[in-house]
Amino acid sequence: MVEPNLFTWILLVFGMITLLPLIAAQTVLLRDPESRRAKDLIIGKGREWRDSTHRKSAIAFAWSDILLVLPLFIISSTTVLSGASWGYLLWIALGFICVYFSITFWVMERVTSVKYHGWFAYLTYYWGFFLYWGVGVIIYSFLQLSNMIF
Amino acid sequence: MFGTPANEMIKNRNQNQKIKVSLGIAFTALSLISLGWIMQAYSIFDWESAFELGLQQGTFEGSELESLIARKEKGEAMADLIWPLPLTILAFVGLVGRKFYGWLSAMMVFSICIYFPLFYLFQQLGSDIQVALFAIVMWAIPSMIAIVALWSIRNHYFQYG
Repeated sequence: MVEPNLFTWILLVFGMITLLPLIAAQTVLLRDPESRRAKDLIIGKGREWRDSTHRKSAIAFAWSDILLVLPLFIISSTTVLSGASWGYLLWIALGFICVYFSITFWVMERVTSVKYHGWFAYLTYYWGFFLYWGVGVIIYSFLQLSNMIF
Repeated sequence: MFGTPANEMIKNRNQNQKIKVSLGIAFTALSLISLGWIMQAYSIFDWESAFELGLQQGTFEGSELESLIARKEKGEAMADLIWPLPLTILAFVGLVGRKFYGWLSAMMVFSICIYFPLFYLFQQLGSDIQVALFAIVMWAIPSMIAIVALWSIRNHYFQYG
């Protein structure tokens, strides 16, 4: 058993602030990808899909996040709060997935995102928070598990 | 009383058998995954040749749309080489050396390899789904089986530290 501490709660709240708004926006997107609201939330106010590849990628990320990332986040976070060690394993898995898609977005969308939203938005809620949260949970969970295992 | 050591031996043999089978599954899945990283590495090295071989779907020498697809795929290829490739190497080395970090790295590689075929499947829905199905069969399904297999022998790695 690993009792949750202040860092656990900070990471949990940070994770909720980072992931849940994205998943809410992706739910709107999946309901109607061509709606003004979906496009405003996902690509920015008044903007349009660049092409079908752009729209398809956004939809694919939305499905993957809703089917895999959301359940993983809910199960891992509740398990971590209950004190069970395998919750940290799930947190690490989620962290690795977050870092993985952060790298993908860095290469794919950095230029366009920075151009339209600026560096501050990009390095925080548009992209950065996902990377920081991913790295944060990997390090923290690994340390928690290390205390138990080694 | 006399049966106890024999039972213990049978138990140990079964345990060793279980470890062997689970590791076999994990190494098979990691080998299949490695083929993907080799494919991505080759693509970064020579994109147009990889396109001609059918390893990638977009080309930088085609239409604007093809070029956009190529840019997206290059992003995925770069991400694969920066993040899961070193992790796969770590998984191979760590699992062979019976280290906890190997077990953990393998689990993380497998979780990524469930995520990206899922992404690919939804991206390709309604168009060319064959590549996505290939990714599901080659990487996602073996990864799911390998996660179960490694989870079943977790104590073996936790005790070795």
